[in-house]
Amino acid sequence: MISLVLRRGALSLVTLFLLASFIFFATEVLPGDALDVSLSADEIAMMPPEVLARRRAELGLDRPILERYTSFLGGLLRFDLGRTIITRAPVADIVAMPLRNSVALAGLTLLLALPVALAIAMAAAQAKGRLLDNAVSGAAIIGYSIPEFVTGLLLIAVFAVWWPLFPATITASTDDPLSVLLAAAPLAVATTIIGSIAYLGRILRVGLIEVMAADFVERLHLSGIPRWRILWLHALPAAMIPGLSAAALYAASLVSGVVVVELVFAYPGIGAELVRAVTRREVHVVQAIALAAAVCVVLFNLAADLGIVALDPRTRRS
Amino acid sequence: MRWGWMRREVAVADPVLQVCDLSIAWCGPDGRANRVVDGVSFDLAAGGTLGIAGESGSGKSTLARALLGHCRAGSAITSGSIRLDGDDLAALSEPELARRRGRLMAMVPQNPLASLTFHMPVGRQLEEVLRWRAGLSASAARLRAVELFGQMGLPEPERLARRYPHQLSGGQRQRVVLACAIACDPLLLVLDEPTTALDKTTEAQVLDLIRRLRAARQGAMVIVTHDLNVVADICDRVLVMQHGRIVEQGAVGTVFAAPREAYTRVLLGAALRVEEASRASCASRTAPGPALLEIAGLGFRYARPSLLRRAPLGPPILDNIGLTLARGEVLGVIGESGSGKTTLGGIVTGLLAGQAGEVRFDGAGLPGLAARRTREQRRRIQMVFQDPLSSLNPRRRVGDAVMRPLRLFHGLDQREAARRAAALFEDLGLESALLSRFPRQLSGGQQQRVAIARAFAAEPDLLICDEITSALDASVQAQVLDHLAAMQRRQGTAMLLITHDLSVVWRMARRVAVMQGGRILETGQTEAIFRNPANPYTAALLGAATRAARAGQPELVDTKG
Repeated sequence: MISLVLRRGALSLVTLFLLASFIFFATEVLPGDALDVSLSADEIAMMPPEVLARRRAELGLDRPILERYTSFLGGLLRFDLGRTIITRAPVADIVAMPLRNSVALAGLTLLLALPVALAIAMAAAQAKGRLLDNAVSGAAIIGYSIPEFVTGLLLIAVFAVWWPLFPATITASTDDPLSVLLAAAPLAVATTIIGSIAYLGRILRVGLIEVMAADFVERLHLSGIPRWRILWLHALPAAMIPGLSAAALYAASLVSGVVVVELVFAYPGIGAELVRAVTRREVHVVQAIALAAAVCVVLFNLAADLGIVALDPRTRRS
Repeated sequence: MRWGWMRREVAVADPVLQVCDLSIAWCGPDGRANRVVDGVSFDLAAGGTLGIAGESGSGKSTLARALLGHCRAGSAITSGSIRLDGDDLAALSEPELARRRGRLMAMVPQNPLASLTFHMPVGRQLEEVLRWRAGLSASAARLRAVELFGQMGLPEPERLARRYPHQLSGGQRQRVVLACAIACDPLLLVLDEPTTALDKTTEAQVLDLIRRLRAARQGAMVIVTHDLNVVADICDRVLVMQHGRIVEQGAVGTVFAAPREAYTRVLLGAALRVEEASRASCASRTAPGPALLEIAGLGFRYARPSLLRRAPLGPPILDNIGLTLARGEVLGVIGESGSGKTTLGGIVTGLLAGQAGEVRFDGAGLPGLAARRTREQRRRIQMVFQDPLSSLNPRRRVGDAVMRPLRLFHGLDQREAARRAAALFEDLGLESALLSRFPRQLSGGQQQRVAIARAFAAEPDLLICDEITSALDASVQAQVLDHLAAMQRRQGTAMLLITHDLSVVWRMARRVAVMQGGRILETGQTEAIFRNPANPYTAALLGAATRAARAGQPELVDTKG
């Protein structure tokens, strides 16, 4: 069991190393270097070659690729993500708070969406094929397929414009405590939650329906075991297993993929920061955010894998 | 004495269970009701054991579930009554049924592994029944569970209770499921195919346990099975079902000795009778020809999955196998699941490659994997698989499946290939109109004959048949085997007949090899080995396979007195 956890952890580290390497080569090496990317074609044309060369030397871009690669990896180990090209500010400082905010938004979303999705899935699975189930399934498909900017704008129109309960955009700043920030962002949270409930509810419902048709459920039913016990103690853990991996990927995408929600509500998260970095061509910041997203995917996957091991004894090979 | 329980009075004086004119229908997607149980009536007395026999699709499992008042979603009881202990189960509401299930009537389901919750230790699953159905406290349930496991003959019950279903053997799982079913000492115990998933040695032990449980209890038992040997072994009455109806019912001895109905005779016809002359030995055969297939010292292990290239090998699946097969000879390979017989077939066909030993074919060394064999070698060795449906491409017409080897190996043009395919179909008793059908449009027996036609289209010298009849019902098996035997004799093809069904070997093969745990225990003439098995394992296999035939013998059923 412990060796299994260690093995999965080691595998995650290998994955992260490969991802970091990929991000480095994709952003720095492939077409042009960081300076080329951060400057526009006009700027490069205007600059005298010796100024360009000096800037390259300052940024260390004149060093051989392998040397830059090792210093990039070495920096990662010390959580040193380099400095921005224009303002020379440490990238880690720029990325840290938005990342915290995005993780908090994703975490709160999951915390609120999971129990609701679970309850809906259980109710729908119990009423399979009947009106309630059809209504829930239909609503889930709609909720899942409506883009988040539509949901977000709709919520703003209803709860901020027609019926001004909440602010349309977030007034809290990036470095505010989380409680202040999240309290100021009820509509942003609601938008992500609606999509999450639809998505997670669908996955859990399918898993539950499959499990409720399993032989062991029939045996329990024929032993006269109460329905609620079958559902909660036997079927639910079994139904969670196939849903966990999908839920993990979804959670990771929440951290890195709520760009739209962050922009609609001006939520100071990592997605908004990414958009800013891309428009300013800050290669190191893009790198750092890509890495943070990768870490999230790997971590959530690891958590899902360990969750599956905890739920399914068949995966515990000694 | 073993057959003593059959002395019990057969006429049902005071029935525990009375099923009267019961019909169950499935509602099809087109809205048409499809009766799977049709007007079934029978009685069962306390202490009695009823066997419900029939082929797949005869409605026997649906009937078994109905005895607990349960119909799967989409089906319903349309008429009749099931009286158990005074109540009509067909008329009770779901909560009323739930109160009785487990306590009054209990079920041992078909597949013990799938029927146990995989993420819960088996002890807790038994405790759950004891707490919620027998009303014991948590601590009392824990003690009683261990006690029950002990009574089921499970080793180290305390430790075993903490294990998960997948960590138990097939026989142990069956005992756990049995313990759950008898935990509240029900009046009626329904066992659905209780031995189908087990090998013969374990089957004997589980049947022994069921027999002991019956002796200790006063309840009635219903055993649903397709295996007449199990019925002969343990039931005192038998009920034969076909297409949802009862074809014949009566005392086991009477029905097996003198079946009144043609269908019962067909089912019993598949029973192994070693005292009669084997058909394979009757078929006139000249002296065995030169050796076609020679296997010496063959060993096989699976590689353990690993990131490293030099992965350690798993336990031996085949160990020092030696066999010879002459031209035109039929050799039966028998053994239970896990004996390595299918692996052996896979190595000869080139699906797997052995790590040790040598396989020679027609005097020359045979490369391991099919990809490294010559086209001519691949043509000369053909295979027929267990499941015809999954071995035929569902998107191609069966005629194309048969024509492909004709064009590939013999270079025939489309017209000539179609003509040969039609001739092969005729040889196997298939109408040529079926050539343009898709596999799913054929019955199981027809599908398997198409697969045989495809194999013979290559005009092979050696045909490997791996459990080719085990997916088929008894009545269809005979037909398929007869056609196969005729083809084999006509073309003079040597055959390796891999099966767990001893009656198939008795019917088809003059020589037999008995396998267990990856080794060959004995090889010899089928008649000699089946009549006087030297090896105790072979004797056990034969004992289990000949029970149905023995139950029909007069000296054994003469017990009414």
